[in-house]
Amino acid sequence: MSKDAQTLSRTIERRDPTGVIGFGFILLAMVPLVILPLASVFIFGFSKGPVHFLEALTEPAALHALQLSIVTSAVATLCNVVFGILAAWFLSRYQLPGGVSGSSAVNSGIMVLISLPTAIPTAVAGFALLLLWGRSGLLGRFIEQTDYQIMFTTAAIVLANIFVTFPLAFGVIKPALDNLDTNFEAAAETMGATRWQTFRFVVLPSLRSAILTGALLTFARSIGEFGSTIMVSGNLAMRTQTAPLYIFAKFNEGDIEGANAIAAVLAVISFAIFSLIMVTRGRWGRSA
Amino acid sequence: MDEVRNQQRRRPALRVIGLSKWFGEERVLDDLSFCIDEGASLAILGHSGSGKTTTLRIIAGLEAPDTGEILLGGRRIEHLPARERNVGVIFQNYALFPRMTVTENIQFGLRIRGVSQGEQRRTSDEMLALTGLSDQCDKYPAQLSGGQQQRVAIARALAYKPSLLLFDESFSALDPQTRGGLRREIKALLRQLRVPALFITHDQEEAMELGDQIAILNQGRIEQIGPPAEVYHHPRTEFVATFLGAANVVTVDLVAGDIVHSTVALSHDSPHRILFRPEDVVLTSADGEADVIHRLGVGRIVEVGFAGATEWLTMELSSLRRQPNSPPALVRVSRTRWEADRFRLEVGESVSIGLRRFRVLDR
Repeated sequence: MSKDAQTLSRTIERRDPTGVIGFGFILLAMVPLVILPLASVFIFGFSKGPVHFLEALTEPAALHALQLSIVTSAVATLCNVVFGILAAWFLSRYQLPGGVSGSSAVNSGIMVLISLPTAIPTAVAGFALLLLWGRSGLLGRFIEQTDYQIMFTTAAIVLANIFVTFPLAFGVIKPALDNLDTNFEAAAETMGATRWQTFRFVVLPSLRSAILTGALLTFARSIGEFGSTIMVSGNLAMRTQTAPLYIFAKFNEGDIEGANAIAAVLAVISFAIFSLIMVTRGRWGRSA
Repeated sequence: MDEVRNQQRRRPALRVIGLSKWFGEERVLDDLSFCIDEGASLAILGHSGSGKTTTLRIIAGLEAPDTGEILLGGRRIEHLPARERNVGVIFQNYALFPRMTVTENIQFGLRIRGVSQGEQRRTSDEMLALTGLSDQCDKYPAQLSGGQQQRVAIARALAYKPSLLLFDESFSALDPQTRGGLRREIKALLRQLRVPALFITHDQEEAMELGDQIAILNQGRIEQIGPPAEVYHHPRTEFVATFLGAANVVTVDLVAGDIVHSTVALSHDSPHRILFRPEDVVLTSADGEADVIHRLGVGRIVEVGFAGATEWLTMELSSLRRQPNSPPALVRVSRTRWEADRFRLEVGESVSIGLRRFRVLDR
């Protein structure tokens, strides 16, 4: 901020009470709605001392739930980032026919389809997966004949995660690619690069901050997923119970400390990812 | 016959024959044909929208022509993808890869050709020295000035020994001081390396300085092509005359005695449109006799402008018209500082206008 702007905003604060009232209102609303609930996770978690907290955390079912959440989220993130990059590349660089004055109706239609999953309630998403892959589901009935089963396994959790976070990485990468000057690609081509070499050496490096941001967003959303997971996973402790399901199960059993320990860990992970996104955007967003 | 034989002997590096391009209903390029000789340069000069950038993109392989042939070193290339044409393009914004250092940018063309590391190093060192960038080699494009970025773009294109260099308005983003110096440097560099080059520009000064030949492009057609001096002194159309340098066009009627002492053979039956450059005008006091020159009449000075080494005057000739029914002709005159100081003129004065030379325009 320039010196002038600083002086100006200070003047407004001093002379006009609206600013003070405004800030006061924001804080006042946030304390009971956001800050206190978050704080209580940590306050209660440590209320019986750190030893108790660690014991609750290192319980095998708790550790398994955390590990399962991290692994399934990572797999879903990898899938959606790879898909997001490819989809963004094709939709940004190739115009399918149909539509007027340069903007293709087919392209816009595909964009809407890709973005659709975030608009669908997660419980509906989970239910839809059951209807497709369940024992008597559209595709599930064919799998039923083999000895494999997709629903109520780790694969189901990954599928649910992929579905609910589907457009997140794409949503960050597509605008970055749209903003990338096509002359870079033209230059690489005239220098003798194939499409793949151009993509690998010129396009991909320019997208790295968008890719990282997209990955972090997807992972953060996946690791906290509850609604769809509880429908498709079966919620079996030590097998298909993810961290959010574990919190819910422990709470239902009346084991507040057990629920609390994992809740605190999830909160810290989310906070860390959030900070990373902020840092990535700040550092690389500008130079890209 | 002689012409044909000459062309065969000269073996142009680039030969474009009958290039046309439509964007929907609009004809952007209309039957373009031109050649660039081995080691020579051509500047295509035109307004924005004249089709000059499309021409460059078609030769580079970034756009497909609707009709026409492109021969590079005798080989048909119009159907080849850009990467197989072996041309170097210097883009308007240079398009240097932002995540690569200067050295990495220069080595890119070699790297994707699978050239050995040592060979890459050797070539990039040579290119850096050639373009005076040796001390900038580890910087990223964003850390360089506009002029330095352009040098990198040229070094990057030269590194893989292209058969042709294409410059797309490459000087327009630079400040005037950098521009002039860099232009002369690049011209010398191209002479030294004998790489044929095509410059696309809307800047007439740039076109005359960089092009061994100039092609004036107007609405997708080449109006005239030739060496800069020839196009300047013998413009074939009014468009060429007024686009390349300043020019005055007036209609003169010999019967009415608009122009006297004419040594040019003009038929007397109808008015003629003549063209002359501001520097070809000689001003003498209104009653004075101007010999050896063609007298055009008496004009009143409506504007005097100082421009350092030259003086610009705008004269109104009440006896002449630009078109038969237009208001009195305004004529732009330039004088050297020496002339201007010796024979001072003020707004409102009337002086006699003579022409050292003029051209009769075809209609």
